[in-house]
Amino acid sequence: MSGDKHRPNGTDPAENGIDGSEDIEMKEESQTGKKSSKLKDKDGDDEMTVVVPPSKGSHAPSAPEKSTEADLKNGALNGDAENASEAQVDPQEKVISEIKANLPLLERGVVQFDPRFSLRVLRSIPSTRKQLSGYVLAAVVTDTYPIPTATAISLLTAVKDDPSFPAQKVKEWHGRKDAAQKTSQKEILPEIDVYLSILVQVYLYDKKSVNAGAEFSSALVEHLRTLNRRTLDPLAARVYFYYALFFEELAPLPPSPAAAVISIRKNLLDALRTATLRKDQDIQAAVTTLLLRNYLSTSHITQADLLISRTKFPPAAANNQIARYLYYLGRIRAIQLSYTEAHEHLTGATRKSPSAYKASGFYQASTKLLVVVELLMGDIPDRAIFRQPSLEKSLQPYLQLVQAVSSGDITGFQNLVQRYNSTFRKDDTYTLILRLRQNVIRTGIRMMSLSYARISLRDMCLRLGLDSEESAEYMVAKAIRDGVIEASLDHEHGYMKSKEVGDIYATREPGDVFHERIQACLGLHDESVKAMRFPMNQHRLELKNAQEARERERELAKEIVDGEMDDDDAPGGDFEGL
Amino acid sequence: MATNAPSLESILHTLQQYLSHGDSSQSQPQLQKAKLALLHHNALIPSPQTPVSTLATARSILEAGALLSIRSRDPEAFVRYHSQLQPFYDFPGLQQTPSPTRSKITGLYLLLLLSQGDYAGFHTLLESLVVAEGADGASSIEEDQYIKYPIELERNLMEGSYDQVWRKTNGRDVPGEEFALFSDILINTIRLEIASCATRSYPSLPIASAKNLLFLDSEGAVTNFAREQGWSLEEGRIYFPGLGDAKKAEEGDQKEVVSHVIEYARELEMIV
Repeated sequence: MSGDKHRPNGTDPAENGIDGSEDIEMKEESQTGKKSSKLKDKDGDDEMTVVVPPSKGSHAPSAPEKSTEADLKNGALNGDAENASEAQVDPQEKVISEIKANLPLLERGVVQFDPRFSLRVLRSIPSTRKQLSGYVLAAVVTDTYPIPTATAISLLTAVKDDPSFPAQKVKEWHGRKDAAQKTSQKEILPEIDVYLSILVQVYLYDKKSVNAGAEFSSALVEHLRTLNRRTLDPLAARVYFYYALFFEELAPLPPSPAAAVISIRKNLLDALRTATLRKDQDIQAAVTTLLLRNYLSTSHITQADLLISRTKFPPAAANNQIARYLYYLGRIRAIQLSYTEAHEHLTGATRKSPSAYKASGFYQASTKLLVVVELLMGDIPDRAIFRQPSLEKSLQPYLQLVQAVSSGDITGFQNLVQRYNSTFRKDDTYTLILRLRQNVIRTGIRMMSLSYARISLRDMCLRLGLDSEESAEYMVAKAIRDGVIEASLDHEHGYMKSKEVGDIYATREPGDVFHERIQACLGLHDESVKAMRFPMNQHRLELKNAQEARERERELAKEIVDGEMDDDDAPGGDFEGL
Repeated sequence: MATNAPSLESILHTLQQYLSHGDSSQSQPQLQKAKLALLHHNALIPSPQTPVSTLATARSILEAGALLSIRSRDPEAFVRYHSQLQPFYDFPGLQQTPSPTRSKITGLYLLLLLSQGDYAGFHTLLESLVVAEGADGASSIEEDQYIKYPIELERNLMEGSYDQVWRKTNGRDVPGEEFALFSDILINTIRLEIASCATRSYPSLPIASAKNLLFLDSEGAVTNFAREQGWSLEEGRIYFPGLGDAKKAEEGDQKEVVSHVIEYARELEMIV
């Protein structure tokens, strides 16, 4: 379990001027960051070879001149050497041109029916995010739409409260109405509508105008439901993401039974149904995770469990969605006491969680849960987990917890739970941690069984801090029954007698561990085979090649035949010539 | 329709009177009448159209029904009432007037889950309680006597301090007469647990100690119980048959190893 996660940019956080190990809330910021970085992980390499190289603008996305030093460093980390020279360009203009450069990409995606173009556009969102303003959005909208359509107007109304909103320009644009009507331009694709809407959502979210955002998103989702275009799916999935995000922040906040999140469940379920019927995996995956998050936020665990058992999570979903799904699944299973299953899912979630610094909130949250589940299973998590720079600080209470459990120190454990009560509650691990008490006692019993050949129940009772000798007797009996210790009890004399510890290699333990590892390796192999990507219609190309090869062969054969004739003829001819 | 049905409040009033007197023969038909009346008032499921006061009464009627079904030892009916009550507890209009018996119902439900051995359901419910409570800021569930009781019982059961369970189910700690009804089931459960523990941990046990360990009343009861469990009795001691299991486990092991190896071979073949 240890070291399964090496942060490539382990030292970067410090450079960025943020303390890398501080406890990061697993919230939208980290999630969006995660989303984008994830997509990059997945598609990055092979995509570059297939797709036309991006314009310079999108290559150096964050070259803002008033950017902080940290930002520049960030850019430098991305390998953008030309940042410095481009810093003179007005960042706003640059963003505008960048966004505009994305529009043809979307059009190509529609024409070629290739979702990778839209994924690429979505990936550029985090880089443009910092520069989004009313001015930028208005400029893009007025330039994109030749005439004021309903969509364009709704986009503009959403951003018109911004101080930088160019009211003058928009007015002129409204005036164009009649003039442009005659020269009927080509129609604006819904993909572009939705892309610009996402930008508005992001903008509103960063501005913290939650109410406006929720309203805008509701209208947008309503509009999306009327469209049925496969090329729209990746974009629509993102729309749902922000839609749910806005409602999550809307008062009354989640734990209350009247929370605003409950009101969007019906819409999300509708979207899930439609997506499933249309085999639309992007939305299906995104909406499933959103629904799970929604249910868990109000602790409707039974409903979440039912949702999982009734739906099938698309296996081809993006990696980040799978990671989230596994996390929620692990959480639900942990609450239901199926620790083995929970452990499996959470390990998957932590391994799949993105390595980018921005998403460390997710990584922290899933690791915390994983640590607790491991403890509940009776395992002691590896010390190395706690040394990772992105986890060190936030997992501090959990490290102490592990130490208390592993030493069987019941009073220390009790104190810890008291001291970090609020932390554990915030992490939603409190109830799980309360269940750990029995594990602590068991470890204590085990330690004593290992160190004493024979110990009186009275002594055990004192050392474990238990109420009565009888309790101690029952507990030890239970521990023996569950196979925690090898010992026997003598009731008349009131002591526990440990059996001699046998050779561990004579037990099935090594075999089990071996099996576990082989299982993991086989799983990895299967997953890598599944993850291989084959270009579409490749087999046809091969067929064609084979056809060509056959033709060449035939020609060659023909040539040889001809050549033979030539060979026969030529000398003869020459001779004749002579 | 609503005119010939007596008003909900009066029905509730008589129902509560029967309930406090413990008169179950009369309260049962009264409950039937109450449910019919609820249907007339369209208050069986909370909806924004129904006035809040009617809903509050409906909630009290259902709660009375839940308590009644526990008293008549009908767990299925109780579960039904409990799930019927959930929308009432979550209904936004009723948040201002929280029900005083809610924690009692929840505690009973927790205890029911516990006595059925449904630990997953128990913890699922508990988790939602803790989250809901976290919103209020006060740590109410650990102080609420009705909810505290099942939680502590569960903790003791899990730890294995069965004597505590025994003491709690017998003593004055039981928070209400409805809760006491579960005591028998729970004691039966722990007795079986202890028996299975004892089989593995003691080579032999005098009957007198076994009587104490198993919370049985007489040595005769111990003999009967031992016979049920298939233990052998000799010279006033109980001897536990223990070795048979280990052998069986070993055989199982071998089979498992073989099946694992075959699986590896198949996987290897697939890869190569």
